[in-house]
Amino acid sequence: MKSLQRRETRDAWLMMLPALVVLLVIAVYPILRTFWLSLHEMVLTDPGSGYPFVGLKNYTDIFRDARAGASILFTFKFTIATVVLELIVGFAAALIMNKTFKGRGLVRAAILIPWAIPTTVSALMWKFIYNDQYGLFNDVLYRLGLIDGYKAWLATEGGTFMALVIADVWKTAPFMALLILAGLQMIPGDLYESAKIDGANSFQAFVKITLPMVRSTVLVALLFRTIDAFRVFDLVSVMTGGANGSESVSLYAYAHLMKFLNFGYGSAVSVLIFLFVFGISLIYMKSIGKDLAS
Amino acid sequence: MKLFKAKKIWMPLIAASLVLSLTACGGNSTQSGAEAPDTDEPVTITFSFDQGIGQPAQTLIDEYNASQEKYIVESKILPQDANVVHDDFVNKLASGDTSVDVMALDVVYVAEFASAGWLTDLTQYFDQATQDLYLPGTIETATYNEKLVAFPWFTNASALFYRKDVLEQLGVEPPTTYQGWMDLQSQVQGVNDVQYTSVFQAALSEALVCNWVEYVANNGGEILDANGNPVVNTENNIEATQIMLDLVKNYAPEGVTTYNEPESEQVFLDGKALFIRDWSGFWSQANKEGSKVKDKVGVTSLPVGPKGTESHSTLGGLNLVINNAIDDAHKEAAIDFIKYLSSESVQKKMNLIAAQPPVLKSVYQDAEVLEANPFYADFYDIIMNGKARPMSPQYARVSDSIQRNIHAALAENIDIKTALDTIQSDIEALNK
Repeated sequence: MKSLQRRETRDAWLMMLPALVVLLVIAVYPILRTFWLSLHEMVLTDPGSGYPFVGLKNYTDIFRDARAGASILFTFKFTIATVVLELIVGFAAALIMNKTFKGRGLVRAAILIPWAIPTTVSALMWKFIYNDQYGLFNDVLYRLGLIDGYKAWLATEGGTFMALVIADVWKTAPFMALLILAGLQMIPGDLYESAKIDGANSFQAFVKITLPMVRSTVLVALLFRTIDAFRVFDLVSVMTGGANGSESVSLYAYAHLMKFLNFGYGSAVSVLIFLFVFGISLIYMKSIGKDLAS
Repeated sequence: MKLFKAKKIWMPLIAASLVLSLTACGGNSTQSGAEAPDTDEPVTITFSFDQGIGQPAQTLIDEYNASQEKYIVESKILPQDANVVHDDFVNKLASGDTSVDVMALDVVYVAEFASAGWLTDLTQYFDQATQDLYLPGTIETATYNEKLVAFPWFTNASALFYRKDVLEQLGVEPPTTYQGWMDLQSQVQGVNDVQYTSVFQAALSEALVCNWVEYVANNGGEILDANGNPVVNTENNIEATQIMLDLVKNYAPEGVTTYNEPESEQVFLDGKALFIRDWSGFWSQANKEGSKVKDKVGVTSLPVGPKGTESHSTLGGLNLVINNAIDDAHKEAAIDFIKYLSSESVQKKMNLIAAQPPVLKSVYQDAEVLEANPFYADFYDIIMNGKARPMSPQYARVSDSIQRNIHAALAENIDIKTALDTIQSDIEALNK
C-alpha cells in the first residue's frame, strides 16, 4: 500500500515536471533576476558605471520619490473604484443572465464583446468617446440635458479618473459577470424550491442561498480583477499617458525600465508591484481556502 | 474536482504555447555576422526601420540591391511606434546583438545611443564639404560630442498652416507674432465657420515637447546652453510658456491639452480653426480630395514672441545609424548603403514616393520636387531654420520632465514658475 502511494507521488511529480520547468524558466527566473537587478545601479546608457551593487538603495529611494508615491496611491484608488463597480455591475448582469428568457444565448454572447476587444483598441475608442469636439459621451449627456456644453473630460484630474474607471468597468465587468454566472449555475435548483416551501421570500433566498453559494466564485473573480486592475497599464498609457495624476505604478515602472533605461530602479519598482500583487493574492487565497475547507 | 480537470486540459496547451514562443525568440538570433566576408560572396546587411516608411524604404532597398553586386540589404520592419522601435533597438544594442547593421533612428535618440557607445563614428566617411551640402539642423541632430555618429535620412519640420480664405476675407496678411494671431480672434469668430483661433498639440506626449521648445526658441530662449547645461527657468522661457498657456486657455479648443496630431488635425480639417501648428506632411492631408479646407490653406513660419527675433521649427525625422558591434566588412557595406540613401537621386526619389522632406539642400530646388510639393518654396526657409530638440544622452528623461511639468502647467495644476524650476532641477540632477 505504502509503495503504491509512493509511486503515485513520484508519478505525480514526474507529470508535473514539464510544467514546473516551464514555470521556473518563465516565472521564477525572471522574478529572481528582476530582484537581483533591483539591487544594482544599472542605467543602460551609462555602461561606464560598471553597474555596481548598491544593496537596497533603490528601494529606499522609492520611499523618497514623490512620483512613485503618487502613482501607488493612484493605482490603489483606481483598483478599489473599478473592482467595486465591476462587482456590482457584473453581479447584476450575472443575475439577469441566469434567468431563463428568450434570446439569453445572444445576450450572453453580446456581453462578452467588450471583454473580447483588445484593451489598446478599446482605450483608443474611449479616448475618442471622451473627445471634446466629437465625443459620443458629450453628445449623450448634452441630449439628456445633463451638461450645457461639450466638455474635455480627459483635461481635468477628476474627469480623467472618472473616464478611466468607466472605460475599465465597461471592459472588464463582463468577465466578472461570466465568472459569477458560472457560479450561479452550479447552485442546485432544489435549494430554492425547498426554501420556497419553507416560506422564504426571494430576498431571503438571495442572502441565505445565492450569496453563500457563489462566495468562492466571487472571490476568485475578485482575485483576478484586483490583480489585473492593480497592474493597469495599456488603458492608461493609451488614454492619458499618465496625464492629470493618472500615472499607474506599472506605467511608472515602464518609464524607468524602457524609456529611461534605468533597469536598477525600474526593477525595484517592478519588485514592489510584485510584492503588492503577491500580498493581494495571499489575502484572497486565504479567504478562498477557508471557504473550501469549511 | 472540476478545477483539476480544467488544469489537466490547459497545462499542456500553455506549456506548448510557451515552448513555441521560446523557439520563436530563438529564431531571431540568426546573425548576419556569421557569414564569412569572402571577396566573391556579397556581404549581406540588415536594415531595420519602422512600418511608417516601410513601402518606400523597401523600394529603395530593392533598387540598391539591383544596382550593384557587392552588398545585399535585407530589411527588418518594425511596427510604426517610436517607442517600440526605440525599445527594440535598445534590446539588441545593449546585448551586443549583430542581427541588425543599419537602423533608422528617431533623431532624439541619437545622443542616447551615441553616449552608450552603440553607434559607429561616421566622421571619417563624410567630410565637412559633404556635410555642408545637407541642412545644418539635420547634421546637428546627427552629431554628438563633435562626432558624426549618424547620418540624416529625411527630416521633418513644423509650420503654421492657416486659413487663407478667412484672412483674405478680413483683408489681413498672416501675422508674424503670437500677439498678432491672438488679436485676430474677435474678428475671425464665425467667419467661414471658424470657431477657434488656434489648434496645436498639447497632450502629455512627445508632441508637447516639440510644441513647447518652439515657443521657447521663438522667444529667444534655450533649454540647454552650448555646454549642455540647463537654462530653463529664465525670464524668456517663463514668458514663452505664458504665451502657450494663454493660447491653451483662451484661443484653442478646451480639449487641446488632450490633443496629439490626429485630434488637432481633425479640428482644422473640419474648418473650425484659423491656424494649426503641424508637421509639413499635413499640407497634402489638408489638400486631399474631400477635405473641407482643400485649397484654402496657406503655410507660413511659426510666430515669434516679444523677445524673439527669428522663427524656429522643431526638427523631426529619421537618422541612419550603424551598429558598432558588427565587423568591419559589414560596416563597410553599411556605409556604402548610407551613402546611397543620402545621395541626390535617392533623396529626390524618397521625397517623390514618400513625401518626406529631404535632408539634401539641392533637392529643394528640383523642379519635379517643387511641382509635387508647391509649398516647398516657402517651406525651405522654415526647415533651414529648424532646430533640434535638446541633445541629451538622457533625452528620454529630459523629455519626460518637460512633458509632465509643462502639461501640468497648461492644465493649471501647477504654476509656470514651479514647472520651469522643476525641469531645471531635474536636468541639473541628470547632468551630475
